[in-house]
Amino acid sequence: MIPDTVSEHLRDVLQTGFRLAPWPTEPGLRAIGNPGPLSPVLVTCNFDLTVRRVTRAMRGVDAWLVVAPTSGINVWCAASGGHLSTHQVVTALKTSGVAQRVQHRRAILPQLAATGVIAREVERRSRWQVKFGPVYASDIPRYLAQHENKSEDMRHVRFGIRERLEMAVSWATPMALLAAIPTMIFRPSWLLPLVALICALAVAVFTIYDRLSARRRLYLTSAALLLAVAITALAGGGIAALVTAALASVGGTALLTFDYSGSTPIEGGSHFKEASWHIQLDLDRCKGVYFCWQVCPEACFDKREDIRKVAITRSDSCIRCGACVVQCPTDALYFENSSGARIEPESIRRFKLNLLGQRTVDMGGIDKAPESPDPV
Amino acid sequence: MSSLALMRLLESAPLRYDAGMRLLTLGKIDEIRAALAELAVAAPGARVLEIGCGTGAVTEKLVARGACVTAYDQNPEMLEQARSRLKDSPRDAVKLVERTAAEIDSCTERSFDAVVACLSLSEMSRSERDFVLAQAFRALRPGGILAIADEARPRAAALRLWLWLLRVPQAAFAWLIVGSVSRPIPNLVKEVNAAGFHVRYERRWLLQSLALVTAERPL
Repeated sequence: MIPDTVSEHLRDVLQTGFRLAPWPTEPGLRAIGNPGPLSPVLVTCNFDLTVRRVTRAMRGVDAWLVVAPTSGINVWCAASGGHLSTHQVVTALKTSGVAQRVQHRRAILPQLAATGVIAREVERRSRWQVKFGPVYASDIPRYLAQHENKSEDMRHVRFGIRERLEMAVSWATPMALLAAIPTMIFRPSWLLPLVALICALAVAVFTIYDRLSARRRLYLTSAALLLAVAITALAGGGIAALVTAALASVGGTALLTFDYSGSTPIEGGSHFKEASWHIQLDLDRCKGVYFCWQVCPEACFDKREDIRKVAITRSDSCIRCGACVVQCPTDALYFENSSGARIEPESIRRFKLNLLGQRTVDMGGIDKAPESPDPV
Repeated sequence: MSSLALMRLLESAPLRYDAGMRLLTLGKIDEIRAALAELAVAAPGARVLEIGCGTGAVTEKLVARGACVTAYDQNPEMLEQARSRLKDSPRDAVKLVERTAAEIDSCTERSFDAVVACLSLSEMSRSERDFVLAQAFRALRPGGILAIADEARPRAAALRLWLWLLRVPQAAFAWLIVGSVSRPIPNLVKEVNAAGFHVRYERRWLLQSLALVTAERPL
């Protein structure tokens, strides 16, 4: 038998490398530490890696962890793609048996779930009050120690070097594997340079690209590809170099046309038509409840407590995740494009039309407002 | 290859659900759905609760047999398809509701003659399934029928091994084509009996990997 800690590390490595695939773990209730009837209840996704990380981050804390059935997908992707919505949270709170273990009805959700989960709907349908905790699991102990008060830094996505490298690994691993199979068969000697090139490109994409303009990306990628082809030509020459150049061009085009939105929490689909939609505020409707300010991962909002309103002060940072639109109880926020077309809040809530996840619903045709679900 | 292509593929899964399921079940699904509807609706006017109606394929058959159907599904895009499929149904014959299966706990006790679930229990976790079966028992009138068609673990060891070997490619295919993350139910009959039902009938298709089970809430 493999010892638990070794198997845990193996799973960490495997699931980081292939984190683009779903890795489901059994949903349900888990006890962290020695929780009692008054201990806090936290909800997370059933992506195996996340559950282990949350559990590790909470060493020394007594709490209940409710693992929701999100198809084995992580919080951010599941929430923006419709796998972590009001339904999954209601299901988890009702079926995990947590209600029999605690005397209160308050659950804490990860902040990045705010794109998919409508807090007030969960309350209406499950009688559980939910609030959005910190973005990062590592901040949970501090958040609980601060009597469930989120300080400024707990609300924002940082996307530091560690996360960037992790994303690079998760893209490079499947790509390198795909490239490695034919290479091993036809040209084993190219294996190492090819894998190195893929890894270098992936690291470049996730560490540099988001800081560059589209034009600079083009120059940089072209230069890298030309260099690769030149090296190959010098080393082998002839047809081999031509084949490499062709393959490299295909790879380069794929990289250039890549849509990184969703892969990084700091890029909002700048390559596609989503970029023309902007967040707008209807000031008359704003009642100053500041849910938008609480859930925005990019700090786009400022409170204006003198008039009890918010202001969109950093709309350039907006990644169109729609969390603010979903949570606003007075429908004061919506997306609008340059020609004045609107996406109403209800469409965003219902179809997860957050411009990060769902794109199959034609934005031009969504005004056929579907009937709202009626209770039995 | 771009992430957008993959996203589009995954997100458009509801549009391919029916065709994909036909492919995955080698065409058996239509026969199973018809058998399910026939066993669930004893007489016209039966009040039926359907858990996870998806695109409404079973719902349509239930309505055609004269049932009054309340159908739950948590996927709004699937419901849109069900809505267009059932648009010509008699008024009041069908009510499509965007709800998760666990919310059948809000149904009135003993208010249905039948509870039907096609390929939805295998998408649930064990605790969710236990909860839903217990609540189905509560929602059914005594003598009411529970009818389930779903992926099941074969009884024969050789078939289990064969399907286990096929599991990874099959699961990957199902995920990409129809967005399904199901797992075969280890022992459906046992779970149904454990919820208090009396199993009356069981039939298997496709190397025992698809099961149709009906059970009765005892009087």
